[in-house]
Amino acid sequence: MDVSQYMEMFIDESEEHLQSLNTHILVLEKEPDNSETINEIFRAAHSLKGMSGTMGYSKMQKLTHDMENVLQEVRNGNMKVTSRLVDVLFEGLDALEAYLENIQKDGNEGPKDYSEISKSLNEILEEGLKAEDGKTEDKDKKTETKEEKSSEVESEKIKKTDEKHGKYKFKDLYFEEHEKKAIAKAHSLGLNVVGLTIYLQEYCVLKGARAFMVNRNIEEYGEIIKLYPSAQDLEDENYDFDYSAFVVTRESPDKIAKVASGVSEVKEVVADYIRMSDEEIEKYSIAAEQEKLKLKADRILGNKPRTVKKEKKTVVNRSVRVDIEKLDALMNQVSELIIAKNSLVSLSEEPDESNEGEFDELLDYLERITTNLHESVMKVRMVPIESVVNRFPRMVRDISKQLDKQMELYMTGEETELDRTLIDEIGEPLMHLLRNAADHGLESNEERALIGKEPVGSIYLDAYQEGNTVVIEVRDDGGGINTENIKKSELEKGHISQEQADAMTEKELIDLLFKPSVSTAEKITNISGRGVGLDVVKTKIEALGGDIEARTELGQGSTFIIRLPLTLAILQSLMVVIGGERYAIPLGNIQTVEKIEKDEIKTLQGKEVIYLRDDIIPIIRVAEVLDCEAEKKEAKEIVIIFKKGDRQGGLVIDQLHGQQEIVIKSIGKYIKSHKIVSGATILGNGDVALILDVNSLI
Amino acid sequence: MQEGRLQYIIATLDKELYGFDVRYIESIIEMQKITRVPGSQKHYLGVVNLRGEIIPVMSLRRKLGLADDEFTDVSRIIIVRPEAGDETVGIAVDEVNEVITLGIDALDTLDYDKKDVSSNYNIAIGKSGDNLINLLNITKLIIEEEDSN
Repeated sequence: MDVSQYMEMFIDESEEHLQSLNTHILVLEKEPDNSETINEIFRAAHSLKGMSGTMGYSKMQKLTHDMENVLQEVRNGNMKVTSRLVDVLFEGLDALEAYLENIQKDGNEGPKDYSEISKSLNEILEEGLKAEDGKTEDKDKKTETKEEKSSEVESEKIKKTDEKHGKYKFKDLYFEEHEKKAIAKAHSLGLNVVGLTIYLQEYCVLKGARAFMVNRNIEEYGEIIKLYPSAQDLEDENYDFDYSAFVVTRESPDKIAKVASGVSEVKEVVADYIRMSDEEIEKYSIAAEQEKLKLKADRILGNKPRTVKKEKKTVVNRSVRVDIEKLDALMNQVSELIIAKNSLVSLSEEPDESNEGEFDELLDYLERITTNLHESVMKVRMVPIESVVNRFPRMVRDISKQLDKQMELYMTGEETELDRTLIDEIGEPLMHLLRNAADHGLESNEERALIGKEPVGSIYLDAYQEGNTVVIEVRDDGGGINTENIKKSELEKGHISQEQADAMTEKELIDLLFKPSVSTAEKITNISGRGVGLDVVKTKIEALGGDIEARTELGQGSTFIIRLPLTLAILQSLMVVIGGERYAIPLGNIQTVEKIEKDEIKTLQGKEVIYLRDDIIPIIRVAEVLDCEAEKKEAKEIVIIFKKGDRQGGLVIDQLHGQQEIVIKSIGKYIKSHKIVSGATILGNGDVALILDVNSLI
Repeated sequence: MQEGRLQYIIATLDKELYGFDVRYIESIIEMQKITRVPGSQKHYLGVVNLRGEIIPVMSLRRKLGLADDEFTDVSRIIIVRPEAGDETVGIAVDEVNEVITLGIDALDTLDYDKKDVSSNYNIAIGKSGDNLINLLNITKLIIEEEDSN
């Protein structure tokens, strides 16, 4: 079967399930008895098993199968969740992710084999079951004790090779609690319980299909309450040539046997009644009523609800899930656009003076519609950062264990949305910052206790929207960055001279951290400290059109602030002329436009500044940056005051041409540009104007 | 087009002929207003607006190290696509003459002196009648290694 057409769907859905596993195993760690979580994990593993089986990925299938086995026992209360189990489940999850990554890359699971995890899972399974078997009389629910062994004369332990009943293999089998309840209920309803063992011909090829057909036939006359091997194993053909089934039916064993043997390639079927003593029936009926047991035939037959509760997470890679509401809004706006267009057409067909006013009105209307339309499309592209940051709790947990340092991650603003092209890219930089905070920012638990801090360190990740940008802050309450150490380390390495070091401001020293190979870490750990991380983070963020800033307070902690652009394609801008050339400056960060007398521009520490409304604002002669000649002004300079975070700057321009909504276009990959150039736009007259990103100036 | 025969657009620069492989060419447009891009490579003149698309334009003269451009009515920008399915770039030339077809036998190579900038970008030399044409390697022209320029 050619399954390549399902590849995309397989990858998308697998990622969802893996994400679900990630979240829920984390919950499970904190709440080992949460049955809903256990069920969710089981369902995810089960779905993954089915999907990977269909696609032919046997390694994934086997691993999920083993995980499922363990989870099954946990679900039934046959074993407890231990911290070792959680660790192994996480290992399994990582392995599955590795498999999936390989599949995405090369189309196959890759050479690595994670069979040790399967081994661990099986070990845990055995130990877990044994442990539970040991705990007996205390529990009310589980009475898998000698009591049953004595009453159930025919049943022994599950051993396929037990020949006690010859070919009546089903008689060797052992019933579980809920199965006994089902049998009891059947008896109390006056129904029969028939056990049968079905033997297939050795030359039978499609054993799975064969078993399915037999079972289907049987089901016409009753309900199958137990299959051995399990339905899944039958499907997977994990059995030799015989299996046993137990049916609740009105018919006699002979009839059921006849029905079963009616399928081709069935060699033989033996059947008999399964009886239960009266006391037993009573015991289990009551139990059944207490529990409101429903015959779990569908469970046995493997008809578990395959539609896993689809979380509303957007899949980030190849497709984006969009809210129907967003699409509806889009539809409405497009309709309005069409109506406006039609009005325009009819207006233009009868041009006369009286229409002038209508024309202008229509243009206004058109303007509003296109702005709304644009906003809607942008909203469709926007994805909550949740899909990126939901990996972080797990990561922090792993780091915490690795470093043997207790810490907590607190996140806010996961619903803050980012353009989906940024979503992919922002994960790694954030992870790096978190690792830094965990490794270098936070002191060890003992140190913290000594200096009077809470021993468990805290890392905060906050995301929010500010004007035209999305701000993400990574903060820790650790020891802060010692700028003196940075200075010392850089001096020692010879990266800066003594004079330079003395002249540097606090901010400049912190900014040094973003240069390659700068680190104050005394030890390079596995996690961080090599001094290659922060510069990469900065480059990445700047490549996305954003920027990053660091703040610290010795002893209190550090904060890294990342700013990213919110909308990408259309901007409100100020149209200016600099050096005779036209430029567009996005309105987002602009505060005011001032006319400043030339002598109001003072010099402070060699740099030009102005004093405006109680603030000292540095002046930037952007014409110099752009390598052109500014217009010489007689008396007043036109200065655009803009703000980035809590810093301000003043941009000297030649002329102001008003405000305009512009479409951002890229200048292409072949031509390089100054980093202040963030794109280009086409003006009404067809000329190209470059867009300036003033943030890069301060 | 027959097997083994390639077509070239011929442009003139300083009395020398340059051939552009037709398979790379998107279109040829008249010279128009070029917006300067601060911080760009020296051989790029800037960008132009081509039906709503922003296209970077390089000067073939500057790239080959010849005297600088003096644009006239006959100056043209040849829009090429160096990589299939990818972006386009404009190349400004003095004049575009004609299209010629060359068979393999009309091609010749010339050992080039590595220091001679202009011959670095030739794939081969084409002979057409009495004329010798520098057949340009468009990929090499546009796609720069990191260390150059």
